[in-house]
Parts: sequence; C-alpha cells; structure tokens
Amino acid sequence: MQNADSHIRLIGVKKSYGDHVVLEECGLDILPGEFVVVVGRSGSGKSTLLNLIGGLDRPTAGDVELLGQSLAGLSEDELSRVRCRRLGFVFQFFNLIPTLTVAENVRLPMALNGASRAEGIQRADLLLGELGLDECGSRFPEELSGGEQQRVAIARALSHKPDIVLADEPTGNLDLETAEEVLALLEQTCRRHRATLVMATHSREVLGTADRVFTIRAARIHEEPP
Amino acid sequence: MNGIQVRSGLLARSGLRFYWRRPWQLCLAVSGIALGVAVYVGVDLANDSARRAFQLTSDLVTGSTTHHLMGTRGEIADSIYRTLRMEHGPVRAAPVIEAEVRLSRLPGRVLTLMGVDPLEESGFRGFSGFVPGRGTDLTRLIVEPGAVLAPAPLLEEMGLELGSEFGLLIGGETRSVRAVGTVLVTSSADEGPTAPLIADIATAQELLGRASLSRVDLILDEAQAERIRALGLPNATLVPAEGRNAAFDELARAFRINLTALSLLALLVGVFLIYATMSFAVVQRRVTFGVLRAIGVSRRQLLTGVMGEALVLGTLATTAGILLGQQLAEGLVDLILRTIGDLYFESSVSAVTPSPTIYWRGIALGLGMTLLAAAAPALDAARSTPNSAMSRAALERSTRRLALRATWLALPAAAVATILLLMSSRSLVLAFAGLFFVIATGALLVPVATRLLARLAEPLVEWGFGISGSLAARGMAASLSRTGVATAALSVAVATVVGIGLMIGSFRISVEEWLTGTLTADVYVNIDGEQFFDDSHRDALSAIPGVRGSSQTRFVRLPTAAGEVSLRALDPGPDGWGVRMTAGSTEAVARMESAEGVLVSEPLAFHRQLQPGDDLILPTASGEQAFTVLGAFRDYSSNGGTVLMPLSVYRSHWADDGINGIGVYLDDETDRETVLGEIRRVFGAGTPVRFRSNDFIRERSMSIFDRTFRITEVLRILAGVVAFLGLASAVMSIELERGRELAVLRALGLRPRQVRALTLAQTGLLGLAAGLFAIPLGIVMAALLIQVINVRSFGWSMDLEIASQPLALGVVLALSAAVLAGIYPAVRAVRTGVAGQLREE
Repeated sequence: MQNADSHIRLIGVKKSYGDHVVLEECGLDILPGEFVVVVGRSGSGKSTLLNLIGGLDRPTAGDVELLGQSLAGLSEDELSRVRCRRLGFVFQFFNLIPTLTVAENVRLPMALNGASRAEGIQRADLLLGELGLDECGSRFPEELSGGEQQRVAIARALSHKPDIVLADEPTGNLDLETAEEVLALLEQTCRRHRATLVMATHSREVLGTADRVFTIRAARIHEEPP
Repeated sequence: MNGIQVRSGLLARSGLRFYWRRPWQLCLAVSGIALGVAVYVGVDLANDSARRAFQLTSDLVTGSTTHHLMGTRGEIADSIYRTLRMEHGPVRAAPVIEAEVRLSRLPGRVLTLMGVDPLEESGFRGFSGFVPGRGTDLTRLIVEPGAVLAPAPLLEEMGLELGSEFGLLIGGETRSVRAVGTVLVTSSADEGPTAPLIADIATAQELLGRASLSRVDLILDEAQAERIRALGLPNATLVPAEGRNAAFDELARAFRINLTALSLLALLVGVFLIYATMSFAVVQRRVTFGVLRAIGVSRRQLLTGVMGEALVLGTLATTAGILLGQQLAEGLVDLILRTIGDLYFESSVSAVTPSPTIYWRGIALGLGMTLLAAAAPALDAARSTPNSAMSRAALERSTRRLALRATWLALPAAAVATILLLMSSRSLVLAFAGLFFVIATGALLVPVATRLLARLAEPLVEWGFGISGSLAARGMAASLSRTGVATAALSVAVATVVGIGLMIGSFRISVEEWLTGTLTADVYVNIDGEQFFDDSHRDALSAIPGVRGSSQTRFVRLPTAAGEVSLRALDPGPDGWGVRMTAGSTEAVARMESAEGVLVSEPLAFHRQLQPGDDLILPTASGEQAFTVLGAFRDYSSNGGTVLMPLSVYRSHWADDGINGIGVYLDDETDRETVLGEIRRVFGAGTPVRFRSNDFIRERSMSIFDRTFRITEVLRILAGVVAFLGLASAVMSIELERGRELAVLRALGLRPRQVRALTLAQTGLLGLAAGLFAIPLGIVMAALLIQVINVRSFGWSMDLEIASQPLALGVVLALSAAVLAGIYPAVRAVRTGVAGQLREE
C-alpha cells in the first residue's frame, strides 16, 4: 500500500550486521497522526527499525522516506537537521542529559532549533504542566523517579513540535503501573500535539490503543489485522 | 579459599579489561607516569654520574695530600718550597703548578697542565690517581725541555704518536711541547676523569712564564701541621686539603639537590596525573563497584583490586620510565658536567657509570608513588556500598561538598607550608617540603575555582559557540567529579612549567641588571701570569684623548680554611664601585673607602653566615687578619665568594703593588675603535694582555648564564611534556566517557559541527581553566624558587620579574594540549554511528 501523504515510508529496507540479517524486504507507510506499535521478541529488530526511521542508522539496502523526503542521499549534517526539526525521541533508558535540569532538558531541542530562551521556557512549562511535572523544572534528572524521568523524556520529545515521535521501549525500564501511566500520557500527548507516534515495545498492553500494529518476525515486518 | 582466589582472579580480569577496552586512557596514563619516573631516574643517574666523576677528578688531583700550602697572593714563591724542604726538617712535600691551557689542534678543548716534581710524586698521586703509561721515560720528562706526559686518548684524538710535538695556547701564544710518555688514570671506572697534561715543574714554569708555584701539597700529621703553621712562612698559609674544595662541594651539592628537586617536581606532576587517572577510573566504575559489593565482594577485595591495577600500571610505567630515564641521563649528564665543570670546577671531566642502586631507587619511587597516588581512589572504591550505584546527581553533589571541604583544607596546608618555609632558614630540604605544601594548597583550591570559572564563562562561550558552548560550560561545572581532580592535577603540572620559566627569566634579568651595574667601564684590560700593570700604564691611558678615567684592580684568590675566596681590591673609576648592596647600611661603601672594613658578596655572606659587623679572617702577608664585614653586595660572578676592598687597603696588608686589571672609561662621543687602538699601543705587543669590551663581557656572561640554565630549561621542557601528556590523557578520558551523552545529543539533532564544537569547547575550557589557575600558582612557585630555594642553594638573591611570556606559554601549553586531546573524541563522536554508540553504551 502506497500513500502520497505518508509521514514515514520504508521501501524494501534491508539491514544486516555482517552476515547477520536483522531486517529484510521491509516496506510500510505510516500516515500523519497515526499511533503505530511495532512488537516482536527481544532482538527481533524493533530498535533497528526505529533507528533506521530516525536516521540514526543507515539501511544496507532500500530507502526510508520521512515526510516525502528520502534519507538515502542525506549527509550526516542534513540527517541531524531532519532529526532536529521533524523528530522526537523517547528512549528506554530515558537518556536525559544529567548535567542539565529537567526544564533545560525539555528546552534543549528548541534551543537546537534556534528558539528564543523565553519561548523555550514557556513551552517547557506548558509541557511539564501537561505531564504533571510542574514542580520538577529546576531539579536534575537523577533526582526524579524512573516514571518521572520518562515523562520528562516525553516532554523533551515533543517540545519542538516534531511531526514524528519515535519511542523505543519507553516502558521497558518501568514497573507495570508506571508503565501504563507513561504509555497513556505518551499516546495522549502525541495525539494532542498531532504527532505521529511509532513505538517499539514487547508490551502487549498497548496494542488495544494503537491505530496499527506491526510485528517483526524472521527479519520481516508484518502488519497485524485490526 | 579457592572461591576467594577465583573471585579475586575475576576481579583482576575485570579491572584489566576495563583498561584494555580504553587503550587511549591506558597508554596516556602509563606514559604520564613513565615520563615522570624517567625524568627522576634520568636526573638521578646523571647527577650520580657527575658526582662520581667530580669525586674521581678531585681525588686524582688531591691524591693522598692532607694539606696545601698556598700563597696569600694567589701564588706561592718557589723559595718557600725550598725553605720548607731544606730548613725545616723532613716533610713529605710536592710542589704543584697548575693552569688551564688550550690545544692549538683542538682550540675548544680546555685541559689542565700540571707541573709536578716526578721524584716527589709517587707518595702523592702516583699510585692513587694517575701513573705514567707503559714505556714512559721519566728522565726525559725531567731533562728534556717542553717534555710532557699526555693522556693516551688525547694523543689518539689528535692523531699523534709518542714523541710527537703539539702546540699549547698559553696567554695568547702557542708553545710547543713533546709527548714523551702517556699518563693513565688508575680509577676502576672505564670512563671518568680526564687526566691532565703532566710536565716537570721547571718545564711548566717555563711554559707558563711563571717563577712561582700554584701550591705545595703536603702529607702531614696534626703535629707537623701545627709546626708548619708556627713557622709563619711569609705570604703563605696552610689549609687542610678537604677544606680547599669545601665551597665547591657545597655548591655542587646544592646544584644536585636543586636538580633532584626539579625532577621530583616532574615526578610530582606524574603523581597528580596518576591520582587523576585512578580517580577517574574509579568514578567511571562506581556502578560496577556497587554491583560487586551487592554480590558479596568485600571492601578489602575492592581495595586490593584497585591497588592491584595501580601496581600493574605502575610496573609498566616504571619499567618504561627507567628505560627512558637511562636514555635521558646520557643527554643530561653532559649538560650537568659542562655546567658544573666549566663554571665552577674549571676542569674537564667526563661521565662515569652510575651506581646501580639508582635503578632500584627509581623502581621503588615509581611504584611507591603510583601506589600512594592510587590509595585515595582505591579507598574511595572500597567505600562503595551495595546501593552505591549512586546516581550521577548524588555523586556530583557529594563531589561539590568534597571540593568545598578541600577549599577549607587549603588553610591548614598553607599553614604547614608557611611553617616549613619559616623553619627552613638554611635547610634546602625543608624549603622544598614547604614548596610542595604550597603546591598542595593550590591544588586543593582548584576544584571550587573550576566550577566558579565554568559558571562565569558560560555566557561568553555561549556567545562564541552557541548552544554547544553553553552545554560545554554547564557540563564542566556540573561534572566536578571528573573535571575537578583533572583540572587540579593539570594546573599543578602547568604551574611547574610556568614557575620554572619565571624563575629562569627573573634570574636572567637580575644578571643583566647586575652586569649593567657592575660593568661601569667601557673596556677592561687584564694581564695574566705573574706580570702586572703599573702606575705608568694608568697615566698613559689617562693621556689618551677620549678616555675620561680608569679603574685599577688587583684580583687574588685567597686560600682560607673554609675554601678559596676571590679578593677584588679596587681603585674605582669615575663611575664608582658599581655594587648593589643587599645587606648593611647605606654608608657601608663610604666606610669601606675609609678603610673601616670590607664588603662581601652575597653568596659568601650566606655560606659563611656573615652579618654586617662580623669579622672575616683573611691570610695577609703578615699572617691571618680579621676584617670587619660592612655589608654584602649582589654578585653572581662567583659562588665561592668575593671580598671587595679598596686597593690601598690591600696594598697595606699584602705588601703587593701589582695591578692585574684596568677598567677604561670612554667619553660618549669617542670613536671606540680608534681609542681601542691607542690603548693597545700603550701596552705594546708581546705582553699577555687581554682586552675585553663591556659588550663582549656582557654577551659572554649571558651565554654562560644560558648554558648554566640549559639543564633547568631541559627539565622545564620535560615537565611540560609530562603536563602535556597528562592533560591530553585526562581531557581525552573525560570526553570519551561522554560518548553516550553526545550520541543522545546527536539523536536530538545536534549537528556534527556542533558536536565537534561542544567537545572542543569543553576541552578548551578545561585547558583554559588549568592554564589560568596555573598562573597564580606558578608565580608563587617562582617566588619561592627565587626567594627561598635559590638563596638556600647558592646564596643568590634576585628580583622576581613576572614576564608575560612564561605565563602565556603556560596557558598556550594547557590550551593546546586540551584542544589537541579533544580532536580524537570529537572526530570519534561524529564518525561513530549514533545507533551503534547508544547500543554500545
């Protein structure tokens, strides 16, 4: 299925490390605002798929298009620009910058996009408020619990109003209750900000709320029936 | 038991793998320590080699001599020796005439010509120092004019055989001599002192144009010595043989201590770097240590593990350091021998094989220092608790508290330094201990200062580097656990380079100023040997148009029980005495002119503890006499010490009207070349007169100065290399550790250019901080080296001149090392795939 309005398109993507083929003949189209979940066993290639979509890694064969733009011919600098403007990331281990406060972490992608300090502070306050972290702005990431840190990561991923948010196992490091809370927040916040959300997870709980679900098996990607 | 062994083995393996996976960190840490050890071992080896070479040379010349009979005017009349032998009973005495000569075939080579009585020599030097070579005919040495015994290697070097003639440059003329035999050194060492040229006493007197002797060597018991003293031989004084070189021995000792201390400074820099490396390695593994504690590893095992790592690092580095030190020593020994030999010993010596104990000392010190430096980080590791997978924020908070505590600790450290320096009125060792505490004080203040500087610099670097600059400054302030110790270590390293640089610069300026003040005449005329100027020369000079005046000087080397002193008796020229007083009242010079006493040079006052008002005993023509010391003046010309008195006072006490130095003062507008020609005509040809312009003496003196300090300069460069490597090592380690953080930033959209800017801004800031903090610490170090260490070592005082060049050099060294060290992590951060780096971490 090909759609001219796709936010994300994979065309015959293959990724291998030496002889080890992780992904093969992968093709998919993700529409704007969709909430897509990619499931599979550990090591099945979910993170690799997200890395390819985010331009953090390059495919061995095939092409990835984001918002109609092919990533194949882009330089590192151009890829950085795409990530900076169009993408937001939420990682399993939060990956907040330990030497920046919570508010500064949230403001960071905006600062990278050249937003003013005042604009950054306003947006960070808004997002932190939405995510229930009003009081945490001046604290350092490691002073927060895991769930709180992941909420900061969600705020950071959305601060510069990206078109696409890529979340790699965002609940993998959290307890069940906190994980459900974070997943709900991530989904709601992305929908509220009209961002396309692609989430890699092995958690089955999220499947009910997703618009589409893909499974990776034997290096190939399969769309699950609704 | 077996379980413990297995666990320890696994711990060791884990530790080694940690370094194995960080080859850069390993290599740079090892090379930092290795260089520190190399500098220490190199200097120690060179020092020992030089010390033993001088000892052997001294033994060679002194032999079994117990006393020297020396002239109170510098030389001793031949008649005194005859009187001693013929009229005062059986004494074992050997006449000696000694002078420095040059070879016409090898003009750069200075050699001692020693005139001896071959028939008397066997009891003195013949069997302890040098002996005639095989086949040498001593009869020819005595009867044949111009016959000499030459060291066999010298003949070989000149391409000559026995019986060949060669020329000696003496008093500006070439005198021909014939090698009738060889002379050998009987020391056990293969290399060692260079044997002198030996001639019969009469031949030597003829060659040198002298009728007198340099001294008479004697083998006496105390009763005999007393008897000779009681004789009151005219213009002669009896001094113990061991006292003759006392001043030189003390100076050489001070020189060695100074070099050793400077090398210890380089080692200290290395120790700081080991501390920084080990601290960093512990901080990097704090989570691992927490996990190990959780699974049952004891504190002792962790402590042993980290100390074991240090031992392995120390062993690797010490082995490399000793090998490197051996190479270094070969270069350094030559510099040391030349410095001490040329300037103070006035003899040529060559290196000898150093004592093997030095290698053991180097090993002990290298390993000991490594373990000592690693002890604190190892204890830190051992204190890890199972839940001390301490959060980074908690770690940084704890580090900030520690840094504050360190700032307070600087107070007692400064107090100890002050006490040690105050107690060190004459002790060089205590003075150096004080200096080391000053360094520790500076190091303790650096972490808090680093945080402060990073905060203050943030707006500036943000303006310069944008978001990357801001992140760099914040990272530096917030990562005190990494940056604090490293910056402290690097500041000390750079301060050492700055301090030594300032000291050399200050000394140079002081010497230049001293030369300007002392060399008041435009041309100096000196006469060698036993010939003297007289008043007619002065009158003739004054009559030359363009000459506005002249000074007359009699230079004499006086033997005293505490070593030789130089006496300068002066009838000053129109510009006065040219002395800068360092002790005594302002009227001291006027009082000296009124024959109330003498002035002494600063080193003489220091070494003999002479204060204004004290008495100085000097051997005069009428026996020993006390002279009141009126004050001390700055003098860098001699370490043995100089006594200054009016010429009239000298003449009245020494009954000697000879003048061997004249200073000529010219009018400003005079054509110097024309006047110089006139001056030369006054003295005529054939007189062994040396003409030296003010500029020539100044240039020559400065070149000697530069040569003296070349070794210090070498040590400064070596300390700089250690600092450079250490800086590079620490900065690179810190940046490589930030790989994950940089990968996250790249994932968020930081462009490669910005990543490079961030890395280089951070390393640059760190280098800048180390460079800036090194400036005040370096200035304090220089002040101590100048005002305390040099005074204790040589008795020289000088003014501290804070020149901008050494300070700028320190900052440039720190900055360039830091920026260069940032290049690899910057390139690596950009080249490595983001996904790969996130996955690896």
